[in-house]
Order: sequence, then structure tokens, then C-alpha cells
Amino acid sequence: MISINVKNHILDLNLEINEGDFVAISGKSGSGKTTLLRVLAGLDSATGDIKVGDKVFLSDTNYLKVQDRNIGFVFQDYALFNNMSVEKNLLYVNNDKILCKKLLEMTQMISYKDRKPQTLSGGQKQRVAICRALMRHPSILLLDEALSALDPQMRTNLQNILLNLHKEFKITTIMVSHDPSEIYRLTSRVIVIENGKIINDGSPKDVLLHTSGSQKFSFEGEVLEIKKVDIIFIAIVAIGQQLVEIVISTDEAKDLKVGDAVGVSTKAFNVNIKKS
Amino acid sequence: MSTLIAKIINIQNIDNLHIVKFDFFGQSLSMMSLELTDNIQIGTKIILKTKATSIAIAKDFSGELSYSNKLSSKIVAIQNGKLLTTIRLQTNDTVLESIITKDSSLRMNLQVGDDVVALIKANEISIQEVIS
Repeated sequence: MISINVKNHILDLNLEINEGDFVAISGKSGSGKTTLLRVLAGLDSATGDIKVGDKVFLSDTNYLKVQDRNIGFVFQDYALFNNMSVEKNLLYVNNDKILCKKLLEMTQMISYKDRKPQTLSGGQKQRVAICRALMRHPSILLLDEALSALDPQMRTNLQNILLNLHKEFKITTIMVSHDPSEIYRLTSRVIVIENGKIINDGSPKDVLLHTSGSQKFSFEGEVLEIKKVDIIFIAIVAIGQQLVEIVISTDEAKDLKVGDAVGVSTKAFNVNIKKS
Repeated sequence: MSTLIAKIINIQNIDNLHIVKFDFFGQSLSMMSLELTDNIQIGTKIILKTKATSIAIAKDFSGELSYSNKLSSKIVAIQNGKLLTTIRLQTNDTVLESIITKDSSLRMNLQVGDDVVALIKANEISIQEVIS
């Protein structure tokens, strides 16, 4: 069990995470997600208690140094040693050639082991960074938007790799992410933080599924235009990057004006789906 | 959007698939739904909603229909456009709005004062709000 009960200039929260779990931390920017990871790693200060198993990371009398916490940390930028080969980057952390080979194989990077990081793509560099974080058999793996800079296809690839690594090594993994599909695919629990406090905590489906009453297909949008056609009206609504048209009756049109923020929803039964 | 207030009288489910039955002035209504929130239980009063375009109309009809929701109504207003017609239907204390093609309206010779049945499929009804 990992128990975190900390306070600082941003955070004020109390949290328990089971060992071996894959957990997502979500929330708006500035909410304290990264600060939480940094406090856990010992990179930011806080008061309170942090216990990982029987190891006390933080208490009134104790402050375990960063290097003694044995935490693997992967950021959005790769922070690799550019003058060392891929293999040396890993062995520098821990000279365990068997583990190094296993990790490079699992991440499909074995054929790149002699390459220097600057000759690799973003996705390849991030795979090396993940391998390096795992070289020391960390008790916790922290991923701070580690996949955010990658294109969607590479992201999916790295998500599969992370899932396989998690299955193999069963390392407690805490991932900061904004991406609902990533959270749903990888994690069993999502903790939503706002202003340093936990505002939601549950399974990804319960937390992320956007519903409106009994309607499961639900989005937030903005009315851009309302056009009258015959005796009905058509509202043009912006949802994210998309524009959609919604047929509304005269009565509905009375309550709507251009610029209104609206919820757009329908039942899960009434939506068509087709392979693109 | 048309709304009406009804009371939950029965909930059946298999996993997260539910059929919820409501009482509306002695008329029974049904809704298909996936997950229900915890506050939706037998005895709960709720506001149901449906789109005006999801309400069909039957007049002088005999025979069986698969529509789970059949509400005896009276036409209280008709507004004709060039292609479409909006029909206001009074059922007990509630006025529902139905949008159908003008062709259908003319073919059925729908008139204000006609007694008709409003038809809504169970998947076209949803809960807008829990009242109590």
C-alpha cells in the first residue's frame, strides 16, 4: 500500500494506492498533478506523511532523499544522455545486461541498442526513457504526460508497450494524463485533482463516461448559428474541433441563442457507428 | 423537445441494460437505457423527454404496433410548413410536440380536435431529470 497524506502550497490531499495498480491522475493544468508526482519522488517539498509499503518517504521526522526512494520517472521530454548509446543509457543506471536486453526486446528497441539518442524518433526516445526508468527495479513508476508529445499511432504503440511492461513487472504505475482513451486503456483507477484536492476517484468508466441523465452520448458545445428551415430550426453547434447540425423545434429554438454553451446528447441506442 | 412527468413503477435489467416502466396518468410508458444513476428507483418521479421528431401519430388505428409507448392524445394545434408539419398533442396535463411530414399530415387529414395516439419507441425516450 502506498499512502500519501500531504500538504504544500498547491496540494492538500489524502490518497491510498494499492501496490501493483496502474492509476491515472487527471485534472486541469495547474491543478497539482505534476506537483503530486514530484512530491512523491522527493523533488518538491511538502509536509505530511508518505509511506510506500513499510518504507517511510516522508513524516514529521523523516525525509527520504530522492535517490533513496527508488522511483522511476518519465517526463514528456526524454532527458537521455546524447553522448551515450541506447544500451549505455540503460546500463549507466544499472549495469544489469540481462534486464537491459529484456527491456529493449520488450520495447522493440533491441536493434537500436548501439544508436545515439539524437538519431532516434520521439517515440523511440521515449521507449528508451521508459526502459531506463525500469532499469533500477523501481518500486513506483511515475509517468508525467510521457506520451503527450507523440503522434496518435506512436501513442497507441507505446500504450501497448506500457501495458505489457506493467503486466510483466507489476510495478505500481502512476500516470498523469489528459487523454480519456489512454486512461481507459491503461488504468484501473482515475483520480481527478482540482486546486490540489481530489474531486473524483473511481474506475475510468465511472469517472470519464460523459452522461446527461440517462443519455450516454453526451458532449459540450457552443451554438454558432440557428437557421430556420420550413417550420423547424437547425442549430450549428461546435463540439471540440467539429461542427454538427442539430434539428430543433420552434419551442426549443426559443430558448437558444448564438453563443450559448449547450449540452448535446442522445441515447446510446440511437447512434450509428461505422468503420472509417 | 417534449417532456412529461411520470413515476417509475418497474425496473428490469440484465447487466447494465435496463427497461424502465413508468406510470403516466394510468398509461404505461417504457424506456430502454444502459446504466441508471442510483437515484433512479421504483417510486421515483422523473421528467421524461423525447425529440419532437421521434413522436409518430396514429389515427383510427386498429392492430398491433411494436411501439412501447402509446399515449392517447388530442390534437390542439397544427402548424403547416412547406414540407413539414408541427402538431401539438394534449395528453392529460401535458402538451407534446410532434414533427411529421406535411404529406403524412394531409394524407391522414389531421385536424385540430382529432383524437389520436402518440407513438414513441422505448429507445427514443430518456430521463431528463429526477424530481423526487
